Amino acid sequence: MIVARDLTKTYGSRTAVDGISFTVEPGRVTGFLGPNGAGKSTTMRMLLGLDRPTSGSISVNGHRYADSPAPLREVGALLEARALHPGRTARNHLRWLAASNALPASRVDEVLGLVGLESVADQRVGRFSLGMGQRLGIAVALLGDPAVVVLDEPVNGLDPEGIRWVRTLARDLAAEGRTVFVSSHLMAEMALTAEHLVVIGRGRVLADCTTADFIARHAASHVRVRSPQAADLADLLRRRGCDVAADGGVLRVQGLDTTGVGDLAGASGLVLHELTLVRSSLEDAFMTLTADSVEYGAAPAGAAR
Amino acid sequence: MTAAVAVPTAVARAARPGFGSVLRAEWIKFWSVRSTAWSMAMLFVLGAGLTVLVCATSASALASQEIDEAPGSFVTWGLMIAQVTAVVLGTLVATSEYGSGMIRATLAAVPRRGSVLAAKAIVLTGTLLVVGTATAFAGYLGGNAFLTAEGIGLSLGDDGVLRAMFGSGLYLAGLGLLSMAVGLLVRHTAAALSTVLGLVFVVGNMAFLLPGEWGEWVAKVLPGNSGSPVATPVPFNPVLLDPWPGFAVFAAEVLLLLAVATVAFRRRDA
Repeated sequence: MIVARDLTKTYGSRTAVDGISFTVEPGRVTGFLGPNGAGKSTTMRMLLGLDRPTSGSISVNGHRYADSPAPLREVGALLEARALHPGRTARNHLRWLAASNALPASRVDEVLGLVGLESVADQRVGRFSLGMGQRLGIAVALLGDPAVVVLDEPVNGLDPEGIRWVRTLARDLAAEGRTVFVSSHLMAEMALTAEHLVVIGRGRVLADCTTADFIARHAASHVRVRSPQAADLADLLRRRGCDVAADGGVLRVQGLDTTGVGDLAGASGLVLHELTLVRSSLEDAFMTLTADSVEYGAAPAGAAR
Repeated sequence: MTAAVAVPTAVARAARPGFGSVLRAEWIKFWSVRSTAWSMAMLFVLGAGLTVLVCATSASALASQEIDEAPGSFVTWGLMIAQVTAVVLGTLVATSEYGSGMIRATLAAVPRRGSVLAAKAIVLTGTLLVVGTATAFAGYLGGNAFLTAEGIGLSLGDDGVLRAMFGSGLYLAGLGLLSMAVGLLVRHTAAALSTVLGLVFVVGNMAFLLPGEWGEWVAKVLPGNSGSPVATPVPFNPVLLDPWPGFAVFAAEVLLLLAVATVAFRRRDA
């Protein structure tokens, strides 16, 4: 279990993490979602005792990470941007990590097999592709067979097969009763992997709920209606309290489902050419929620004109 | 490729890690990059090789007193050049971790930063002590053969010769540690290297140009000047401190810098 309480980190005058509190429960995959620069990696670094919080705290299994006598056996972490020396082989990288936490050397071969890197174990990691580097990072995370697994942007650079593998791995680890905390800036990926979401933007928690709740609450849907009598239908719908946007013969209706719109049109003898439920994508929902908190937003094309 | 995690019996039964574990980890790290073997090979080749070469070419001139120096200055000649490799190795022990981001993996594995630093220092100084001493002996044995042929050879029992053999190891170990401390403070390979090389070779030699007794003292206590007399039977420079008092000054400087680096290393974000 991971618990953050009023966790804050400032660098000079810039606040990277602004008093966030959340709990990551065991037995499920918790997604840590936010745009780049939202404070995900800073939070991860404070979790691992690499950066010191300016105020507040973040604990693992009830104590600070740094107080663990054998941290790799308690928390396994995939760090961002491969924390590796390019001249060392994959096997030697795992060997020194195993030695540092008094893990048996046999565990090195086990995790190499687990991530499918046996055949390149004695190659220097500088030659590894991004995907192989990520696999090695995951091998590091699993080395100590930890009850808490923290993965920072694990699918970066992976091919589709690799992405599915990470997704399955995360779920399997959670099913074994482990605490699994996965950060990502990809909403769609998190929707497939995580059961619970902690969404942050500009260092603040924007949502902390189950993935299903998040989708229901934020991924708003609308009804698209096409009719030769669109103007009449729009009046009718507005009188029923619906939110209607008209674009020629096409209406965008919120506040009534397809059945309701169809029944209303039928009762008034209006002709419909199209009646569709349009779900906005999760990506849209995420963009909407974090729109104000994107650190480096791109101006829409043409905005400068 | 499977997503299942292996049954963890071996991990669960493993002993609680102690300082020995950290030491073993740093030892594996140290020897599993090629720069270590390269630096050590260069140290030996330059240190022993140049000593033999210079002794071979200077032996007759020394014997005929055409060169007005003590033969004792020549049996450790190569160490003057080889010390650069100790600086490089010591710097890389610290800065390579920052350049690659490895430091985060290191500190996530061992959050006790003091232990990490102590283990690094022991591995580095232990290696330099052994390789430095072995290099000095090899250079002496090879170079002294040429001096002996000219009748000016030194025996290990002669004043300062045995001391200089082990002193070479000690001086190189201290220099490596000094470089590691600077590397930890600067956290950048090129910057750390130029700082140490500049301090030991450039500032150290320029300081003798300072005027008066005060200037001479400043020059004497600068790290390279205070530490190097212990590494040679007879120093080329006659105004340097005596071997052991000089080394004591040098050791104090190294420890002070290491203490500052330790405080910074424990406080800073990784």
